[in-house]
Amino acid sequence: LVHIPMFTPSASSDEEDHNEAPTEAKRSKKGDAAVDDSNVLYHPVKLSRSDLYRPPTAEELNQLKEAESLFHCNLLKMQMEELLKEVALSERRKKLIDSFVQRVTKLLEAVPETAEVEISDLSWLSGSAKVPFLLLPQVTKGKFHMAPPSSVDPIGSYPLGTCIKPHVVVDLAVTIPANVLHPKDVVNQRYPRKRALYLAGLAQYLASFSDLGPMRYSCLHGNRLRPVLLLIPPGKDSRSSFTVRLHACPPPGFFKPSRFHPLRNNIRTEWYTGLQTSNSEGIEPPTPHYNSSILGDLLPKAHLQFLSAVSSQCPAFADGVALLKVWLRQRELHQGAGCFNGFLASMLLAYLLITHRISNTMTAYQLLRNSLNFLASTDLTVNGVSVAKDPDSSAPSLAEFHSAFQVVFVDPSGHLNMCADMTACTYKQLQHEASVSMQFWDDPTVDGFYSLLMTPKPMIRTSDHVFQLCELVKLQSSCKKLNLLSELMDHSGDYIHTTLPLILSLLQQGLGQRIQLLTHSLCPDPEWSVSNEPPKYKTQPPISFGLLLRPELATSVLERGPPADSPKAAEFRQLWGSRSELRRFQDGAITEAVLWEGESMCQKRLIPKQIITHVLKLHADIPESCLRYVGATVDDVIKKGSEVPSTGEEESLVVVQAFDDLSRKLWALEDLPLSITSVQGAHPALRYTQVFPPVPLKLDFSYFDREKKSKSLVPSKDKPCPGIRWSDSVLAVICHMEGSGKWPHDRFAIRHIRAAFHIRMGELLKKHHNYSYKPCPTHLDVWKDGLAFRIQVAYHREPQVLRESLTAEGMLVVRDNEEAQALEMATIHKPLLTSTLHGLQQQNPCFGAVCRLAKRWLAAQLFSDDITEDTADLLVASLFLQPAPFTPPGSPQVGFLRFLCLLSTFDWRNNPLVVNLNNQLTGTDYTEIKNAFMASRESLPVMFIATPKDTKQSMWTKRAPSIQMLQRVMVVAAESLKVLELQLMDGTQIQDVRVVLRPPLDAYDALIHMNTNQVPLLCHAVDPPGVNFKRGVITGNAKASSGVLPVIDYNPVSLYLTELRDAFGDLALFFCDPFGGTVIAVLWKPKAFIKAPFKTSQASARSVEVTGDEAKTFPNVSAILEDFRILGKGLVKSVEAKTEKWSF
Amino acid sequence: MASSKRKHGSGQTCVIPGGFSVLSLKFSSDSAASHSLYVKEHRVRAQSHSGRPMDRTLFVLNVPPYCPENVVKELFSQFGSVQSVELKDHPSSSPDSGPRLSKIFRPAEKQGFKVGYIVFQNASSVSAVKSHAFDVPLVVQTKERPVKTGVQKWIQQYTESFIPKEKLQKDVDDFMMDYDKRKEKAEEQQRKEAEEQQEEEEGWVKVTRGHKGTKARPHSEVANKKTLQKEMKKKKRKELMNFYTWQHKNTQKEHIAELRKKFEEDKQRIALLRAQRKFRPY
Repeated sequence: LVHIPMFTPSASSDEEDHNEAPTEAKRSKKGDAAVDDSNVLYHPVKLSRSDLYRPPTAEELNQLKEAESLFHCNLLKMQMEELLKEVALSERRKKLIDSFVQRVTKLLEAVPETAEVEISDLSWLSGSAKVPFLLLPQVTKGKFHMAPPSSVDPIGSYPLGTCIKPHVVVDLAVTIPANVLHPKDVVNQRYPRKRALYLAGLAQYLASFSDLGPMRYSCLHGNRLRPVLLLIPPGKDSRSSFTVRLHACPPPGFFKPSRFHPLRNNIRTEWYTGLQTSNSEGIEPPTPHYNSSILGDLLPKAHLQFLSAVSSQCPAFADGVALLKVWLRQRELHQGAGCFNGFLASMLLAYLLITHRISNTMTAYQLLRNSLNFLASTDLTVNGVSVAKDPDSSAPSLAEFHSAFQVVFVDPSGHLNMCADMTACTYKQLQHEASVSMQFWDDPTVDGFYSLLMTPKPMIRTSDHVFQLCELVKLQSSCKKLNLLSELMDHSGDYIHTTLPLILSLLQQGLGQRIQLLTHSLCPDPEWSVSNEPPKYKTQPPISFGLLLRPELATSVLERGPPADSPKAAEFRQLWGSRSELRRFQDGAITEAVLWEGESMCQKRLIPKQIITHVLKLHADIPESCLRYVGATVDDVIKKGSEVPSTGEEESLVVVQAFDDLSRKLWALEDLPLSITSVQGAHPALRYTQVFPPVPLKLDFSYFDREKKSKSLVPSKDKPCPGIRWSDSVLAVICHMEGSGKWPHDRFAIRHIRAAFHIRMGELLKKHHNYSYKPCPTHLDVWKDGLAFRIQVAYHREPQVLRESLTAEGMLVVRDNEEAQALEMATIHKPLLTSTLHGLQQQNPCFGAVCRLAKRWLAAQLFSDDITEDTADLLVASLFLQPAPFTPPGSPQVGFLRFLCLLSTFDWRNNPLVVNLNNQLTGTDYTEIKNAFMASRESLPVMFIATPKDTKQSMWTKRAPSIQMLQRVMVVAAESLKVLELQLMDGTQIQDVRVVLRPPLDAYDALIHMNTNQVPLLCHAVDPPGVNFKRGVITGNAKASSGVLPVIDYNPVSLYLTELRDAFGDLALFFCDPFGGTVIAVLWKPKAFIKAPFKTSQASARSVEVTGDEAKTFPNVSAILEDFRILGKGLVKSVEAKTEKWSF
Repeated sequence: MASSKRKHGSGQTCVIPGGFSVLSLKFSSDSAASHSLYVKEHRVRAQSHSGRPMDRTLFVLNVPPYCPENVVKELFSQFGSVQSVELKDHPSSSPDSGPRLSKIFRPAEKQGFKVGYIVFQNASSVSAVKSHAFDVPLVVQTKERPVKTGVQKWIQQYTESFIPKEKLQKDVDDFMMDYDKRKEKAEEQQRKEAEEQQEEEEGWVKVTRGHKGTKARPHSEVANKKTLQKEMKKKKRKELMNFYTWQHKNTQKEHIAELRKKFEEDKQRIALLRAQRKFRPY
């Protein structure tokens, strides 16, 4: 369960107290609450005249000009400088590192020599250190002995100056003396084993020095052939910690590089399998990956020299690499097997520098920009590049590299492919990320810095669907199925990375046009203690795959193949196996085709799952049980329907169609005194975002009482409250009438004229279409096809009339007032929002579902009164309109996760959220909004949402939330996000997504429990009860629109809440889940519980206490609790007072 | 809660500073807790409203939401016959203004605690109320007088929300007739005034005081603003920009000042963000 501390009572009622930054909650979560930032406030800059107008110096002028021309905003320049300061290593830490490295170097020089033994003889190792190598096959030839290293040199990012926080790693190359090795050792893993033995020897030796701290083994970029020894110096605080990584290397030039040509073989099949193979004609398969892993050991010093030479030419090199590394890290591409690590980043910049694509004088900002541009535009999977200027003749050609590897980026020597382990998918992901970054970089409407460098992009929040391969041991059998023996040999038995490229290409083929991008998680480098055996491959955590869907194609049930007689048909049949069948289509063509199951939208969304399961089972022998598909797990909470589960798309469509029909019929009405100018919907269901859209229902007439005169249906006293799905769903329709001189210019007269219209309209609808109706002064209820519509006639000048008043002097003044605003909201803004969001749904098919999930969560956490439906829809819309650094959500789940992330991380204190509906706002508008916002921050709503029609006021969030509620929403959202992501990405957790929908109730002061039979939407509850009540509904189709009007808009819970808030609104806050919640949580306002002097305006529900001649009042709690029961007679089951803090 | 009142002993009235007497009120006889009503004779400086004669009107605070006007009337009938009861959200001196609306056209009322003005037939009733003992509570619901709350009340409300179409139409028609009449009257008056302004036979114009000066100045705020703006525009059009050297210099100076200001603003924004540790990427 989610346990979240409730905000302190002292904070909950100071609604005016805006001084607390809402970010505080977020920061304290991070754990660095040491800095109190609540005092740091933005004040508009006031420069004195003499400061502003003093004559500029040349230097200042230059600085100002540079900032103006180089960066579209010098804010970005400064932001990057600040970021670099944050990640740079401090001098103090550098000193610590240097002294530690020195000590280790000194110790290593004194490693004692041992006698020469066979490689397989491990008796010289005591138990304190094991060999960090999976010895398969067990035996290989060769002799080994320990000897002091011929040299110990720092390599990699630290000496280069590109090392950044956190996880500071300092690499040390320990050169194995030449007499330990033999030039023939490259064959049959002899050298890798010797290297592992050497590391074990070092570990055993270093273990005797306890002040070095704990030692662990790991392996470089997940490659088991290249173990490393990690030294973690014992530090008092984790902030100054770092890791020293010892690499054992052969002496430079010990092996001839030409031996490692990607087409050469260095592992003999006979040795590897232990069998006398029959085809011993001498054609051995090439072992490119094995070769490059050894070659990689040979070159680090040369690489360092090369990079230092390049970086000394370019002053911003180190900063550029640092920025690129931060960028990669936020995208989870920086570590693991086949990653694009910091070394590759430096090499990339070096490549761009020596090919003169960037110049030496560029700034870090430009370096980052140009390298991203290069990545976005260059496909290294097809056209590899080489840093080597003039490679020797023995170096392989690029074509040879391409034949052996998926991604080609050749090092300065011309022999090594630095991207040997990278899969094509990873590179495509890199390319995709770079091009997305380039797209929003120049967009003035996006905060480029945050999207580029500050926002983490974990897979679960980036990819639309995610699935995991668990039980990786099963991949062994797919190795066999796919006939990958020689590749397995090349990868030295790492069956995971052997099969991964093939699985990826299978998935790519199967999913085809349905996806934009297929990504996979990079296996993290395993780490284990030196006294343990290395972990087996099967203990690796599951591999996650991410799909970025093409929304328009991903849900298609049909996979149409080539015509039966085309040569491609065989290929198609081979891919799909028995699922492929010949089908005849309407256009007469007979083609191969695969038809997937799926009726409703929520089933269709899972078609990629069907495909993946089928393809992997058929071709790779991976059973369905190994797959953990988390594409639509969260959707469960809004899923309804027993036969065909649905998440509301189909129901919404029915509602919208019914509305369209009604609107057509209204337009066609002829006998109205004035003509209709517009018919607009103003209800969430009419923009596909109603959490549980209304369903046309048939009535059980005997269930209701009858009103005496009109014979209308009314709810019965003794039966459970009627209505499962319509009580909350009266669909508001705003009907504007033409302006005319006939309209009176008086507020009361307009009100009456509208009533007359309602009557007339109802009569006409009854006459022509036989709809039952109920006219009221404010609206007209119409019962059509099992759905209830509430038509409200509007006159466009009415708000103006409400604003006008005459002063005593006869001057006509226009003053804004609440009544006019409320009317404008209902008749202008809401319909407009509804139609705009309806349009957004047409472009993004899952927009509605994300809204439904978001609103279900808000309601369940009892926030629906603070973050209203319209606000929530706008928040979700912003995720689609401004997705940077992501792409627009392609599944409800990922949209929901990003919604939670937005809620929990957005800095509402300092930023307006601009929702650019219909793309109407330009960059200058954004600046204007931001400036206006900053200038009058204190008087604006805490949650400020600007839309094209409303740039100054944030009308949707004017009333709520308060600062305290917003803080609480942020905390709960952060916690929910954490719990949910952990659950989704980790199959070992308890799998129950409803956990995030169960609010913690222990923080409230009183709970009002309600009788379940009077709660109309009980069946929508988070945990629906087993028993259900008959509620006057018959299952069956309700097309007949005739008959009497059912009970509309009768919801005891909301009526009760209104009464409670009317009576006790200034003493307490009331929270309830509108979708089947059976508890109302009450929170006293602490301010109301301070004893106050007796005033006639503040005597409600208070009792008085007299001391001397002073009368003080305080809330009469026992009477109030009793009033809760009295006001809700028949609905309230019990009132539970939870705390005693209010009883003085 | 009760501690303060116990001081006054049983069977006594409880008067608190400020001149209010405290009465207790229970929903039903078996209720455990009770509300306190604060009552006082109605007293205002200016007799503005004839509906509330000062000597006979009782001012009541803290009337619970389940006591509508008819219940209050019956509750206080034990002190003498009640002429009228008026319940308000806040203490207010003036009654409703504007034209009389039928009940269904009035906006929904807030269902909270109310302030009441009870007008008795006799002035003596007021003092009878004030001297009512604190520990004898008034009881809202008795067997003879059931008060509907909760589900029963809501069902009743729902039932009442069905307004016969004919009644609704009649209300509308009545109001509009009334409105038309009022409008006609107003027009009549205007016409009269206009006539008075007309020249008399001998060519004299009668000058009267009052709001006929409206012709001289615009009679709405918007029009007022418009004329002002027009004049400003006129002024601006006549001015020459970037004509003299000093003007040109000034614009350049302004430009640099603006750059400087923006730079300073950005710096401050950064300082703010740094203080909030907004630059730590992970």
